[in-house]
Amino acid sequence: MAARTFREFLDVLEEGDETNSITDEISWDLEASAITMLANEFDDRIPVFERIESAIDGARLVGDPYRGPRHRPWDRFARALGLEAGLSGPAYYEAVIDRLRSSHEPTVVEASAAPCKEVVRTGDAASLLEFPWPYIHQGDGGRYANLATLVAPDPDGDWENWSHHRAMIHAASQASVLFLAGEQVPNLYYYEYERRDEPMPVALAIGAGPAVEAASRMWIPVGRSEAAFAGGLQDAPVELVECETNDLHVPASAEVVVEGRVLPNERLDEGPFGDYFGYMNGPRRSMPVLEVDAITHRRAPYLPFCVEGSGVGYSRNSSSTFQTAASGPDATLGLRAAGFDVEMAVPWDFTSRTVWVIAIERSYPGTLHELANFIFTTWGMLHIDFFVFVDADVNPLDPRAALEAIALHADPDRDFHQFGVERMPKVPLNIYQTPDEKGSATVGTSKSKTAKAYVDALADGSRPVQTIGDRAARERARDLLVEAGVDETIFEHDTGGDR
Amino acid sequence: MTAFRNHLGFLRKTDDLESLERPESPSPQVVAAEALRANGPALRFTTDGSALGLASGIYGGVDQLQRRRRYPWTRLGIGLGVDRDPAYVDVLEALLALGRRLDERDVTYVARAASTTDLNVRDLELPTPPDETWPRFTLGVLSVGADEGSYWTPIHGTVIDDRTLRARVPDAITDQLEQGDAVSVALGVPSEALAATYLLAVTDRLSTPIEDRGVGAAVPVVPTAGGVVPSSAEVVLETTVADQQPETRSEKREFWERLVDGTTLTLEVDDVFARDDAVVPFTPLGVPLSDDLLLVTLATATTLFDRVNSYWGVSPVEWLLLPVEGRLGICFVATETLYAGFEWQLANFLFSLSDCFDKVVVVDGETSPRNFGRVLGDIWVKAHPSRDWLFSEPNAPSARMPTYHSEGDTGARLYVDATWDPRWDDEYIAPRVSVTDSYPPEIRDAVCESWADLGFENDLEGDDLT
Repeated sequence: MAARTFREFLDVLEEGDETNSITDEISWDLEASAITMLANEFDDRIPVFERIESAIDGARLVGDPYRGPRHRPWDRFARALGLEAGLSGPAYYEAVIDRLRSSHEPTVVEASAAPCKEVVRTGDAASLLEFPWPYIHQGDGGRYANLATLVAPDPDGDWENWSHHRAMIHAASQASVLFLAGEQVPNLYYYEYERRDEPMPVALAIGAGPAVEAASRMWIPVGRSEAAFAGGLQDAPVELVECETNDLHVPASAEVVVEGRVLPNERLDEGPFGDYFGYMNGPRRSMPVLEVDAITHRRAPYLPFCVEGSGVGYSRNSSSTFQTAASGPDATLGLRAAGFDVEMAVPWDFTSRTVWVIAIERSYPGTLHELANFIFTTWGMLHIDFFVFVDADVNPLDPRAALEAIALHADPDRDFHQFGVERMPKVPLNIYQTPDEKGSATVGTSKSKTAKAYVDALADGSRPVQTIGDRAARERARDLLVEAGVDETIFEHDTGGDR
Repeated sequence: MTAFRNHLGFLRKTDDLESLERPESPSPQVVAAEALRANGPALRFTTDGSALGLASGIYGGVDQLQRRRRYPWTRLGIGLGVDRDPAYVDVLEALLALGRRLDERDVTYVARAASTTDLNVRDLELPTPPDETWPRFTLGVLSVGADEGSYWTPIHGTVIDDRTLRARVPDAITDQLEQGDAVSVALGVPSEALAATYLLAVTDRLSTPIEDRGVGAAVPVVPTAGGVVPSSAEVVLETTVADQQPETRSEKREFWERLVDGTTLTLEVDDVFARDDAVVPFTPLGVPLSDDLLLVTLATATTLFDRVNSYWGVSPVEWLLLPVEGRLGICFVATETLYAGFEWQLANFLFSLSDCFDKVVVVDGETSPRNFGRVLGDIWVKAHPSRDWLFSEPNAPSARMPTYHSEGDTGARLYVDATWDPRWDDEYIAPRVSVTDSYPPEIRDAVCESWADLGFENDLEGDDLT
């Protein structure tokens, strides 16, 4: 059965001896994140900080709880969803796709049955400063709540959108939220609420459980319920509860819920922040203001956080894992639904959002161009700059196979294709543009543009061999190696190139 | 100098060598290939004494696509005696020194460790790959003696019958051979000898006797019926060039044959010398991470590294790496950017020095070669998709390693500039997120000191966290 709450997820990790409960008093001021980054770098157990300096109500921190193991990033998430143990990457993708195809509508429970209402503070009693939000990197603009699901409404309908946005803490009742125009909720805010001079009611759910976190990271079409997809992922309805100060519904099991309003035409500084590119992006820029109306939470709540920027290169963190384990299957499903003969769509192993590797058949001349055009004009256009297409029998979870494909099969003359040179939208977080190009720091929405490109690394039948011997001989070889003392998990890590 | 068997001993001491009994089935090549595919340890195939011991994955066998504490150059670096945890550039420089021409010979002659045997070459029971008929030997050194000294080249081939080898050798050596000439084949030689032989072959420097190269001073040798061979060689085959030479070409090639024109040679084996409990290296051909590929990529990187740093009068290039995963189809170079446009010059200089690849990625010199994962991230986040992915017109000679060119084609070249623009003010340069960059030293030190007490399991020592 799937872990439906954050605490059940921690239990799953603990059963696998994958958490490290730290009882020494730890500071939220860089110390917790330094420990977490080292754990990320070394693929060590996930730190659960039981005693945090100056935390109220026994609040605790958990550093990058969704980080997957380095060699099988989907593994912990698979167990969280109650999937069969030991799934290969491609099998995991198909299992998640099946779950996404079988959504469950959420149910609504009474406040008395909602763990997130164990403590309710409203008005002046609700203070952000009483929680141990971590200061994550030296040079960050402030302390952050950055592993959270933002719940926001559609002003003209019943849709409640879930998405992932970080919030920088400014005061007891104020935070700035990173709203980048082009994403669903920021679009609603900038082009609906703010134009009407109306505040946007929102809720920030922290520690809402694996399926909720995953759904909030996925590209779910406008108007479709992330809650229903989360229900599909966990194969059971998500329990929601109504907020105290607005009409929104939030996951009832959340550790902490911050209710509030994003004020129209008001801005606070946001950033700099060490972001998913692996660099500090700046400058500080003006972002919309979240005014807090209430905070409800469990007793002794856990506050999960992500050390962004550490999920690059060899290291993983929660964000990079969500990309591979959640956004990947979701994108694969989305592309198939759009009619493309896609085997798998997987983020590049070393930088989780800027480039994706897609295994696909070249069904007809122009397939790749059409697919790239579809993606760049629908989802992914803000964050993704590149797609690398590889043969359908290549496993895009295997970076060795992807690098080989780029080196040997992508012709600089014929296989690198750029789209609309510097005419495509781009989040202002990347580092290859000058501050001028990223847009003014005083403007809430980015004016930056960039180019996009795709790389045709299909071999069209001339790939080097990856194995010798037939399957039976290879399996026998592996058995012999294990008998000889070779660590069996080495073979689990080998994604093998061919699917 | 480290004898081959001592090299195996060092690998065992570093927990990087597993032993298993040589199986009847599947063939050792299949076992070796599976270990390579999984980034496994080096392997030692033991026997009951009736045949040769075998070893695979001895020089390479590691990729850089996951964080590891071993790198593609680690095993060879240990073999070269660089260090137990050798730095990449130190390995390149050690290789370079072996290939350098000496002003004065400094050769050490030592008694042959291998003894005369009654074995014929089939008795050695070299392994036969799946779907092949004849046992195959790889990672060998051919020695041809002449008045001025001995010439070493790579050799690989098959055992046709009790006393016949059919082998591939570089064309450069066959010019010196005539029917009936004595040549010797050495298997299980020190890393210096094998690596230097590959280096000299792929850089077309086989016309100088090895006594006049650094390797001649580094590796003690012994005279044989052919030329001199490393005295510690596990197996030496003294042969003569057969009267009849076939017009055949093996379908399976060692990787050096992709760069060097070769000839098929039939050799009649006159004598077999072997050490007690002899063990020889072999590599499955064509599979990822094979030893022959690693030796060629390091030899090529060594040469390019030396030439670019010898060109400008300064040494701006910190490292240069041809990842084994890319099979010589892509080159990565980390450099100081001396002036605006330097990275363009550097990339094109590399294209002019090698016809293997048509893609060069230039990264900042501060990037560590051990942190290749970070390099594979920077390609896409530091390089602007239009301004920093730079393509030539398709009028250049086509690169030989990629699969998309036909003979006689011209092609385009690409370089990716993943360096900071030297014209940018410092304020434009985004600081990296890393353990060392994102936390003050007092916090880093405190966390590292208390790491084990906090309950974590992994040893922090020895990793490059930059």
